[in-house]
Amino acid sequence: MRLAIVLAAVPVALILHLESDSIAPLIIVTVLTAITALMPGSAGAALLIGYAAVAMAFADGHPLRLGVLLMIPALHLIHVTAALAAVVPVKTRIEPAALKAPARRFAIVQAISFAVAGIAAFVPSGPNIGLVELLGLGALTVVIAVVALRI
Amino acid sequence: MSRADKIRDAFARSHGAHWHPTDAYSRAVWLGVGLVVGGLFLHQVEMVLFGVPLVLSVLLTSKPTGTPTVSVRPVPRGAGAGVVHTVAHVDGADAEIAVIKLPGGPAAVPAHSPDLPVEIRRDAWGPGVDLRLDHLFAGPDGMHVYGPIVGTEHVRTILPPVEHHPSGPLPPRPAGLVGIHRSPRAGDSTELRDIRAFQPGDRLKRIDWRVTTRTGTVHVRERHAEADAEIVLAVDTRTDVGANVADWASPYYGATTRPGGSLDRAVRRAASMAAGYLRQGDRVALMDLSRPQLNVRSGVGRRHLMRIRTQLVVCVQAAGWASRVALRKLPHGSVVVLLSPFLDDEIAELAVQTRKHGHVVLAINTLPLPLRPDPEAPWGEVAAEMIAAEHRLRLKRMSRHGVAVTPEC
Repeated sequence: MRLAIVLAAVPVALILHLESDSIAPLIIVTVLTAITALMPGSAGAALLIGYAAVAMAFADGHPLRLGVLLMIPALHLIHVTAALAAVVPVKTRIEPAALKAPARRFAIVQAISFAVAGIAAFVPSGPNIGLVELLGLGALTVVIAVVALRI
Repeated sequence: MSRADKIRDAFARSHGAHWHPTDAYSRAVWLGVGLVVGGLFLHQVEMVLFGVPLVLSVLLTSKPTGTPTVSVRPVPRGAGAGVVHTVAHVDGADAEIAVIKLPGGPAAVPAHSPDLPVEIRRDAWGPGVDLRLDHLFAGPDGMHVYGPIVGTEHVRTILPPVEHHPSGPLPPRPAGLVGIHRSPRAGDSTELRDIRAFQPGDRLKRIDWRVTTRTGTVHVRERHAEADAEIVLAVDTRTDVGANVADWASPYYGATTRPGGSLDRAVRRAASMAAGYLRQGDRVALMDLSRPQLNVRSGVGRRHLMRIRTQLVVCVQAAGWASRVALRKLPHGSVVVLLSPFLDDEIAELAVQTRKHGHVVLAINTLPLPLRPDPEAPWGEVAAEMIAAEHRLRLKRMSRHGVAVTPEC
């Protein structure tokens, strides 16, 4: 499971390296990946996902470029594999059937996420988008309320 | 509530037998919501898209309820050494993944999988833990866990094995009622035991007139007692040494006794001899030379064999050095089987004294021979040779005083 974390982090490191002029993102992602793989229950995974998301958001390019679309499942995969690795000791024999439900849920979440990305592609951008912002804030309020109720 | 109590309470809530959220849950909630909110306020669509899967993973899962359990089909406690099979039943309740620490290594299985086969290896006799299935249940995406739970210990005691030795040709007898070996002490039966010179206290009716007239001195006829032989198995549990002298001072971990060591050999031999004598109908007692409170009185039958084997395990558990050795309350005229490595003079002296008191003594040497000297010590070979020479002298001395000695176990 720890190997899966590393494999999921490889595309993240490559995308950030290709989008950056320096080697710093590659080093940061490598260090955070090593921390996550060694201590899956630590804050390493959160830092890795957070850093990659912020770095991609403030990089140049179209918001829905290929790197972003590849990064969405990769970061989610890092989250899921780190979560499972935190509850499974090292050298545990994992039956493939045990991963069937998480894999199915991963596919559903990704389908919804790409649907959201598809909607985002059609949302107009520019200075006169007050209605869209209002709708976005309304949706955000609903999401926060639902998450708060689940907590 | 003080701050220390709050920390302790928080720590207790994050462990143990109840469902509690993991770091992954906190990550999904705070990082997911943070990315979505941050993306909306900063007008960064990418951040929103990266945060959406994390928020969705929280929304699509729910906190499991119920009490998942792992139970094991009981394993026979008295079964001998070897491989024993059983099954673990996993009742996952609302859990998704069960992580169970099996004897072959931990395994992650679906929480609603069929019974898991469990193989238990029992390599050595003695008390021990067969199985302890520590486990943990994880909810969807590992966001909630139940445990880790320390499993119930399934303990067992493997009795020392019995090797069946072939007995010689025996006369017919009512099996189960009468032993094959007669008690060596004198008594009032009709069978002649000895003809000896008259001693003060002898009954006049026992005088053998024919021998008396032939020899000119008064002789009496001595008869056997109406009793079976009493065998006393005396085990020296003070030391447990192997052939390697370098290991004598270090404890052995992993088994009750050192495999192939003096105590292991003594216990195996005692169990086998007890089985052999009891099968022939003789009365057998067990004595721990250094802990008389662990002695077993003489008896007969299969249940007595179980009692002796069980008590041998108890004796080994209590084994350790004692300054004194003693054979207390020996039945008159009994056959004493002394199982010891004979590493000190006191045990040899005890054997000689017991012989002098009129008992038949069989000394069985349990010291593994030849001794292997300590290769790292400069005087290792000399020390091993000295120990072996003293040991040989001790056995010779006992043999000279009428003790039957078997140099090899």
